[in-house]
Amino acid sequence: MKDLKDLNFPDDVKYTKDHEWARKEGDLITIGIDDYAQDQLGEIVFVELPEIGAGFSKGDEFGSVESVKAVSQIYIPVSGEVVEINAGLEDAPELVNQACYTQGWLIRVKPSQASELDSLMDKAAYLDMLKG
Amino acid sequence: MEYKRALEFQIKTLEEGIGKPFSLDRIFFVEHPPVFTLGKRGGEENLTVSREFLASRGIDLVQTDRGGNITYHGPGQAVLYPVVNLEAKRMGVKDFVWGLEEIMKQTALDFHIQASRNSLNHGLWVGNAKIGSVGLSIKKGISFHGLAMNINLDLEPFSWINPCGLSHISVTSVKNELQKAGKDFSGPAMNQVKASFKKHFASVLNYDISEPHES
Repeated sequence: MKDLKDLNFPDDVKYTKDHEWARKEGDLITIGIDDYAQDQLGEIVFVELPEIGAGFSKGDEFGSVESVKAVSQIYIPVSGEVVEINAGLEDAPELVNQACYTQGWLIRVKPSQASELDSLMDKAAYLDMLKG
Repeated sequence: MEYKRALEFQIKTLEEGIGKPFSLDRIFFVEHPPVFTLGKRGGEENLTVSREFLASRGIDLVQTDRGGNITYHGPGQAVLYPVVNLEAKRMGVKDFVWGLEEIMKQTALDFHIQASRNSLNHGLWVGNAKIGSVGLSIKKGISFHGLAMNINLDLEPFSWINPCGLSHISVTSVKNELQKAGKDFSGPAMNQVKASFKKHFASVLNYDISEPHES
């Protein structure tokens, strides 16, 4: 695993303790896994995403990521309805390793409680948590 | 122990440990009656005999949520299920998989067998023959499922599948390799394998292991 200082944590997203990120984009929230998660998972070979239209509550499992013979569950940072999924990951799951905050995003949701985003950690709080 | 029963033990341990970073991990060492298991993404296409054939032999086919493809478990295979809170230990999944492979590699060495990793696939290999496999599932940072190492099991059921979804590979066992080397071999007892696993798990993953109290 890389040292924390060698990982990238942008300022324009919020983080969860389960290592997902969430970014507000207009009325929608884009969600992915962060650089810490992709680094500790290793080479990602498959991403399982929900159906468009599926509804989730904050903290629900919404899919899984398979790497190095391990299937890891992923948890949704905010409640809402899935309005878009990153279909490109079906053929190129490695995008999650290569560009987890951009081309490697997972889903977009229409949040049902916009304030939930504010309760997530900013970069400073997340780094404090990782440093333990 | 039946595959499904072992899975229930793991899930119970996992559920007790969610959100409790200081709760104790548990490591289960078992042998299963004959059973084929599928990975989360399946693998039944790599079963080269019919379900009816398996049923006629009394062998179950179980869908699981672990990584990897189809595999076989049976008596004479040492199976280790470490239910370990990786998140609490800040241990990466890829490092944990490397560690499980290393435990099998060191165990093989205890029986004077040189085994290695192979770019074909994860797990442990003697040349192009697979001797040990890894498959994990991770929920809330806690890993379950684990590793399986072939000690002295009947290898025939592996000929009914493309193991791990790979054709043109073979499968071997500790017994098989020792016989090939011309060693007088009756096979290590499972308690020797368990002792090796325990010793190497502790050193490779820097871990304290204690035997459970009778309850």
